[in-house]
Amino acid sequence: MEDAQHSPELFLFLASTAHDMKNSISVVSGTLERLLDGGSPETEKAYAQMAQMLYQTRRLNDNLMQLLALYKQVGKPAYPFDVQPIEVGQLVEQVVAIERVLLESRGVSLELDVDPELIAHVDEDLIVGVVSHAINNALHYTRDRIRLSAREVDGDLEIRVEDNGKGFPPALLAAGTPGSGDSGVNFVTNSAGLGLYFSGEVARMHRHRERHGAVRLENGGPLGGGCFILTLP
Amino acid sequence: MNTPSAMPTPTPAPTAAPAVSKPKVLEEIDWASKQYLIVDDFVGIRQLLRESLRSLGARNIDQASSGGEAMGLLNKLRYDVVLCDYNLGEGKNGQQVLEEARMRQLLMPSSVFVMVSAEKSVESVMGAAEHQPDAYLVKPITEGVLLTRLNRVWRRKQIFRLIDQAFIEKDYLRAARLCDEQIAANRVHEIELLRMKARMLERSGQPARAREVYEKVLAQREYHWARAGLGKIRMADGDFEQARQMFQTVIAENRHYIDAYDQLARAYQGMGQHEEAAAVLERAAKLSPNSVPRQRHLGQAALRLGNVPMAEKAFRKCLVIGEYSIRKAPDDYLGLARVCGLKGNTKDALQLLLLAQREFGSEHEHMVLRAKITEGHVYHESGDYLNARRAGDELEGMLQADPKRPGTAICIEMATLLFAVGVKGTPNEVLAHVIRNNHDNTLLQDEVQKIFDRARLPDEGAQIIRTARKEAVDLMNQGVVLWKTGKLPDAVQWMRKARERLPDNVRVLFNAVQILISHMQQRGYDPELELEAREVLEHVDKLQPGQQRFAQLMEQLGALQPKPEPASSALSEAEKEDAAPAGKS
Repeated sequence: MEDAQHSPELFLFLASTAHDMKNSISVVSGTLERLLDGGSPETEKAYAQMAQMLYQTRRLNDNLMQLLALYKQVGKPAYPFDVQPIEVGQLVEQVVAIERVLLESRGVSLELDVDPELIAHVDEDLIVGVVSHAINNALHYTRDRIRLSAREVDGDLEIRVEDNGKGFPPALLAAGTPGSGDSGVNFVTNSAGLGLYFSGEVARMHRHRERHGAVRLENGGPLGGGCFILTLP
Repeated sequence: MNTPSAMPTPTPAPTAAPAVSKPKVLEEIDWASKQYLIVDDFVGIRQLLRESLRSLGARNIDQASSGGEAMGLLNKLRYDVVLCDYNLGEGKNGQQVLEEARMRQLLMPSSVFVMVSAEKSVESVMGAAEHQPDAYLVKPITEGVLLTRLNRVWRRKQIFRLIDQAFIEKDYLRAARLCDEQIAANRVHEIELLRMKARMLERSGQPARAREVYEKVLAQREYHWARAGLGKIRMADGDFEQARQMFQTVIAENRHYIDAYDQLARAYQGMGQHEEAAAVLERAAKLSPNSVPRQRHLGQAALRLGNVPMAEKAFRKCLVIGEYSIRKAPDDYLGLARVCGLKGNTKDALQLLLLAQREFGSEHEHMVLRAKITEGHVYHESGDYLNARRAGDELEGMLQADPKRPGTAICIEMATLLFAVGVKGTPNEVLAHVIRNNHDNTLLQDEVQKIFDRARLPDEGAQIIRTARKEAVDLMNQGVVLWKTGKLPDAVQWMRKARERLPDNVRVLFNAVQILISHMQQRGYDPELELEAREVLEHVDKLQPGQQRFAQLMEQLGALQPKPEPASSALSEAEKEDAAPAGKS
């Protein structure tokens, strides 16, 4: 395989470049958040453009994070999967903390329907990343409302991110539904595919006894738009 | 196509107020008045983190741009919160800063150390590091997440406050009991508390009880550390084959759980399968190459096998990664010196021995002696018998000048060399010392007998071993007789003498402490006797950690004199010192 020819130096170089990019993105998104949080459309002429920039920065970061994790999964030092028990309330609190300014700046409300006392056994950073990414994605589809719910279904934890938009296009629905043709997602032709693929990988890594996690996409739900559904054993 | 990359026109200004509110602080924690340290080599990140902390109200924020600078600040000031990046460019990395700060006790028990990284690293997460940070944050860090995590760590610290205190005081049985109390009240932390409890039970020499705890965890969920914990207990019982299977199960399930590789290697060593042990260590070192102890372990395993190239690679790596680490040790230099000797390069070997003495001479008591032993081995192995003998004679001179003897392993290494180069008499005395201090360790006695056999002195050796054992038993028994007949001051005196003669004999040391405690139980508390008992126990814990009797004696000592409730802050340290014998009795 060609991969075997990659020298450790090249890997180190790529890793340090990715770290550097992460630092820059951190500074850009942090600064934008601060500016947006302190301002409003009335005080900031460029408020809407800044909101748009924050959204794009988030996308960049999500993609970089996913690529890094996926690369490590297949490459040499794989992703250190670290499962710990955590209250669902704590998970959601972090997702809200990450998304608050972006949601406010776009005028989108986030409705929570969560049993905070539920305990999830998860890799916290990965799951917070997946759910935040789902909300970023819903931001694109929604008109003005997103709903985040978490509850226990048949012993599994089910986390749903729903919006009141027009719903996912058929191609994405097909890609996100298990058993619909080939399991691999063609994320060359579908830019949303990487995120979905990554989320699926993360879900599958979570195992308990014979069961493992999964993601699926649906249209409809309480808000009538797209639903991203993550189940974890 | 409706894909996120093609964004529609920016949404108009929000009409209704969004339903999302700022994350609420569950308990009011006064983050404003705390002392903060930010460590990152990237100035933009430092500014960002500083702004985030400022908006929590923080006023006292120091910054460092490198590990070295961070150490300087940690030396000067006690920080409540340290936010430290893992990758710090040239010099120490974040993990090394944490290790050194913990080992040099520059952090308070209540201090929060948060590791910040662009991504999760295997080394930092997989239980590979002995000193774990209180939290990990993956970049980019938003203010909300920072606050959420800080609050959580703080609440966790409250739950673990008394347990940590008992742990620091080495009262492991109290710590285990406190874990039980907390489990009843904290369901989320149950798993973590069980893990701590199992550790405490292991430390207090109660593997059967620790095993129950691990099994309880595994009944709930397959946690690798619990499975590996069971393996470690099997190994401590001498059941290396069962242990091997358990560690291999863990690795098959999660091939990045590094600790399981290190343990698997130990299991192989226990079964005498040194080839396999070295192969496992080599795999672990490839997976996670930046641990000094692992590279050292690999180097020593390879040296044992006579695999010089592998040993050389491991020890060289040890020196490179150890450059900024507090975990570096003379063994790394001595090991590489042996490698150079085996390659016939005595000049480099001697250079390394000089370096080791310069580097560690001030902190390691027997550095000069150890360097001289290695020098002798290097000459001997390279066939320079004249110089090997000279080193042996010099060693003999050193032993005559200083009656203090080093630990068992060094003594054995030394006696082996002295016999090999033809020094007579002194190795007998050194080996007698080893036996006196380990009079009930039959495995070691066999090993010593073999050394005598190889030196063609089997009968003399057997006689020396017998006499040394008898001396130890007599010294100990006489103390016990004095104790049992109620002559407590005499017994204390006698055991002081016995300790002088047998400074590393664990059973004698335990008995000495038992007698000191009896004295205080019957004749009243005495701070000087308590201090003496604690010093002796401290020494035992270094010689042979994880003894059941250690835990029991620590608990008895702790019960002698009620202490004030430890406070949450640094104040508790000061209080403890002031409130010595004046406390309630």
